[in-house]
Amino acid sequence: MSNQAPVCESRREFLKLSGLMGAGLLVGVSLYSAKGAALTAGSSAVEINAFICIHTDGSATLYAKNPEMGQGVRTALPMILAEELDLPWQRIKVRQAPLDDRLGRQVAGGSTAIKTNYDALRKAGAAAKAVLVEAAARRWQVPAAQCVAKAGTIACAGKVLHYGEVAAAAAKLELPASPRLKNPADFTIIGKSTGDVDVGSIVTGQPLFGLDQHIDGMVYATVIKPEVFNAKVISFDGREAKRIAGVIDVMKISAMPNPTVLVDGVAVVATDIWSAFKAAKLVTVKWQKPPAYIKTMQQMRSLLAAASDSGEVLRADGDVDAAFAQAGSEHVLEAVYRVPFVPHTQMEPINFIADVKAGSIRLLGPTQLPGPARAQASQISGIAEENIQVEFTRGGGGFGRRLYNECANEAVYLSQKLQRPVQVVWNREADFRGSYFRPAGHYKLKASLDGKTITAFEVQSSTTSRDLYARRDKTPHRTEAFPDQQPAGMVPNFRLSYKALLTNIPQGALRTPGVNATTFAYQCFLDELAEKARMDPIDFHLQLIGTENRDLAYRDHGGPSYNTAKLRGVIELVRRESAWDSPPPAGRRRGFAGQMVFGVYMAQVAEVSVDKNRLRIHRVTCAVDCGRVINPSGAHAQVQGGITDAVSAALYEAITLDDGRLVEQNFDRYSKLRMQDSPPVDIHFISSDAHPQGLGEPSYPVLFPALCNAIYAASGKRIRELPIKRHGFTV
Amino acid sequence: MARLSLRVNGKKHTVEVPEDMPVLWVLRNELLLKGTKYGCGIARCGACTIHLDGRAARACTLPVAAVGGAEITTIEGLSEHGDHPLQQAWIAQHVPQCGYCQAGQIMAAAAMLKTRPRPSDTDIDRQMSGNICRCGTYPRIKQAIKAAVAKGGDL
Repeated sequence: MSNQAPVCESRREFLKLSGLMGAGLLVGVSLYSAKGAALTAGSSAVEINAFICIHTDGSATLYAKNPEMGQGVRTALPMILAEELDLPWQRIKVRQAPLDDRLGRQVAGGSTAIKTNYDALRKAGAAAKAVLVEAAARRWQVPAAQCVAKAGTIACAGKVLHYGEVAAAAAKLELPASPRLKNPADFTIIGKSTGDVDVGSIVTGQPLFGLDQHIDGMVYATVIKPEVFNAKVISFDGREAKRIAGVIDVMKISAMPNPTVLVDGVAVVATDIWSAFKAAKLVTVKWQKPPAYIKTMQQMRSLLAAASDSGEVLRADGDVDAAFAQAGSEHVLEAVYRVPFVPHTQMEPINFIADVKAGSIRLLGPTQLPGPARAQASQISGIAEENIQVEFTRGGGGFGRRLYNECANEAVYLSQKLQRPVQVVWNREADFRGSYFRPAGHYKLKASLDGKTITAFEVQSSTTSRDLYARRDKTPHRTEAFPDQQPAGMVPNFRLSYKALLTNIPQGALRTPGVNATTFAYQCFLDELAEKARMDPIDFHLQLIGTENRDLAYRDHGGPSYNTAKLRGVIELVRRESAWDSPPPAGRRRGFAGQMVFGVYMAQVAEVSVDKNRLRIHRVTCAVDCGRVINPSGAHAQVQGGITDAVSAALYEAITLDDGRLVEQNFDRYSKLRMQDSPPVDIHFISSDAHPQGLGEPSYPVLFPALCNAIYAASGKRIRELPIKRHGFTV
Repeated sequence: MARLSLRVNGKKHTVEVPEDMPVLWVLRNELLLKGTKYGCGIARCGACTIHLDGRAARACTLPVAAVGGAEITTIEGLSEHGDHPLQQAWIAQHVPQCGYCQAGQIMAAAAMLKTRPRPSDTDIDRQMSGNICRCGTYPRIKQAIKAAVAKGGDL
């Protein structure tokens, strides 16, 4: 998919050929010409704008702008274009755009692709349709208003042309800045369940992923990662490794000041991946451990516990201390919640290709952040960014892991040294040792009740910090503590403090970063408070949210505000669909959680049984309000996948350290959820025509408290530290 | 290095590779069949599942010299036109998310159906639990297997 020649004659080239380059024409840099790829002479397709190519047969190629790693945007974003272009989905081919500054931000992160591109892609599709209509109108010498475009054809007074017949003429017209958009009532593609554009290639094993790519003259490298995170290489002995057939070299890679760019390691370069893997086992490396490294998770827990007492106050409403004093100790509840380090364990191990030439670089591989990959390649190689071409492949999972381009940087470094293209492939052990963990956290919670009402709520929290780890020190609370997260704004006295810690352990963003920890802590604690108030947990939440329809400020990702009526809406829906008010089947109990996450309203009920510590999750019911749904099947898949992923993390996932060394380095010691323990998930969407929101992440954090609250209801055991398997349950 | 003759997807190939090279890398590097995936290298994730004489095998730990005359089938050779009932069901049920593990999932399911053409839910759970899907597509995988079984055809 990445090595194909461009299908489309670029608008710029086309105009040049047509002698029409010049004043007033709205043209950008073409998709490919700037990067030196050959333009197809005599192409049968023409570029209408950066996203759309119309072929002479009336079909179209649409460019998917953002990286795809399983979240479905390579299908959903072109669906938006196709809708406004008014071309049937069967006549569309989708291709991955490379990094191209004309296309806007090309990022996979924060569940943002749909919500930030919806308007722009509608306009791009509608503008293309407008010039096609205009071209037909000019040919017929009628006003454009008399022409009607539908399903790839333009009709006027009994005459019909298809898009391919007017594409060349349309490409010479100026694209309107404010084209008329469709009435959503007329949508035929948006809102219709659509299969992934790559599904046929996936089920037949076509080479879609980073690891499947090859460029001529390429060699392979794998990297031996430090046993203790951020240790330095003192020396290494690669003589044994070099005796393995196919091994070309063994080389040191040196850290950069920002460890998310490069850490110390030893690369083994060979003519094939397996020989590199085999030889890497024969390299002996002497490591210098970092001066103060975390030796055990027990030590990490103690540091976090101590730090949580000295956090910076990020929000203080009313007077929490006075409220606690007034309530008296019998009406005050305290609990400590903890979360462990969790690696991403995406199925396709980290890999990237770089081909560094004298004054240019070609980068090819799976990344969630192609822009920073280009910037860092420039920083490492000294080659100007405008001479660096980045193509991104489908990623075999990302979940935040591919926000870090360390492997691409290694490939740039090695390719420049070796003067040939290099694919760096981490084996699974390197992938674990090269993790960017979900931060570990400590949440000391305290609340007072007056009868059934919360009078004060306090959070003293501390986590390891991915901002500090990436050497960003401006606002290190930004990514792990959220001053407006509920119940903030719903209780009169509220205080949140937070302390960020920097250690040698790499930190990264994992599916709803930060929020996946705080939601577990807060929503489990609210369940404890409901019990103390002798209230049904859902009634307790609804009372807390209140019956007024109001917008509460949320000055973090997913804000600037959220709506209480919408939150109630999903809670009431999940209550109905989970049959919350009817007794569960014998032996089973239910648990609830619900919250706004990244702009999406999400409520879940888990139904479990615990029989002599044998835990079974029978069902998870979920209600979602994400505004308009672009691809219902894709939306359902993301919500269900997020819940299933969270079940895995909740039940099993955490790492352990032995004198600073990672104990779990593959799927033998590190457990992931398997089919036999994967619960049925029942998902219900609120029908909405509000602006669409992204779904790659929001279902994930809510499952943790819904599940742990259900386990409490079934067993009387509060899970205040993840994962659940460490509490004596078998699954 | 050894010169070995292999039967892969109905075709004979001669390769010259180290005897201990796992079949996974012979397929990927020598025969350029990239559908069989590297996930863990220790036979724990199932991404590399192939068929050896019709039975599921983990290509990442199987030394090429141990294959002998057995017939290797990979995802590329599961059906001639990519239309095995399971492949069709995977497409119809919109199973894949990232898609990386799915070739292994389909090969595991296809091997199961050879010995259990009408698997129970428990059979499916048991037989498919050697394959990790980290995106969590398990419910749709199960649904697709059942749909393929219900539809019949050449399983």
